[in-house]
Amino acid sequence: MKEVILDCMGEACPVPLIKCQNKIAELDLGDIMIVQIDHSCAMKNVPEWANKEGYNCELEEVDDGEWEVIIEKTR
Amino acid sequence: MEGSKKFFDKITQTEFYQMWFKNAYSYVTGAVLLSILQIATLASTGEPWGVSGVFANWGAWIYEAFGGSVDKWYYFSSQGAQNTLNSGILNDPGSYRNMGIIVGALLATLFASQFKIKKIKNKKQIVAATIGGLLMGYGARLSFGCNIGALYGGIASLSLSGWVFAIFMFVGAVAGSKLLVKYFM
Repeated sequence: MKEVILDCMGEACPVPLIKCQNKIAELDLGDIMIVQIDHSCAMKNVPEWANKEGYNCELEEVDDGEWEVIIEKTR
Repeated sequence: MEGSKKFFDKITQTEFYQMWFKNAYSYVTGAVLLSILQIATLASTGEPWGVSGVFANWGAWIYEAFGGSVDKWYYFSSQGAQNTLNSGILNDPGSYRNMGIIVGALLATLFASQFKIKKIKNKKQIVAATIGGLLMGYGARLSFGCNIGALYGGIASLSLSGWVFAIFMFVGAVAGSKLLVKYFM
């Protein structure tokens, strides 16, 4: 069960989402991907995409304007 | 310092602060608020909401501040444009609106404790932003409006041009996204 950190700090939409989609394809079932973002638009559309795909998803605000989206590849 | 943080936490952790200042509004809430304010702006200034036209005026004023002159430029040759330029930035309602947007966005992000200055990651970002910005500015003046003036204002004014703009903006966004992924990611 790997834990992968995807650093998307400073990237504007739609780059974080595209990076997520590419990265999650490389992971195995049960792996966890932690996406670091600082863009409030990604804070909305990455969890939306993760939930639509059926992955377990959690959003944490780690600092002013910085979030970590924790996605578990459950299918 | 600890005492003042606890005091502010008492305010920011309340249900209403979270609802009004912290959490994002829903799409419906945003649409309703934008529509009400668009009506207010049309009623009070006689113009629909527009953003990019103001930037052209700001550019002209900056150019004039450095000694340049736009009097012979075709774009500014209409009487209305000349009046706006001559009255100056402090008399231009569009300038107040644009400055209001900038200040308002800053306040919104500060109230939500989400303010952050983002560092530039690499040179590609600078190139992409510069090219994109120039294209956007140029395009916005060619079409006499941007997604706000030409799209939102145009469609709301029941103008066919608004719909034409929408279609080609969509095409442009698709092309831009593909270029972004291929060259700038």
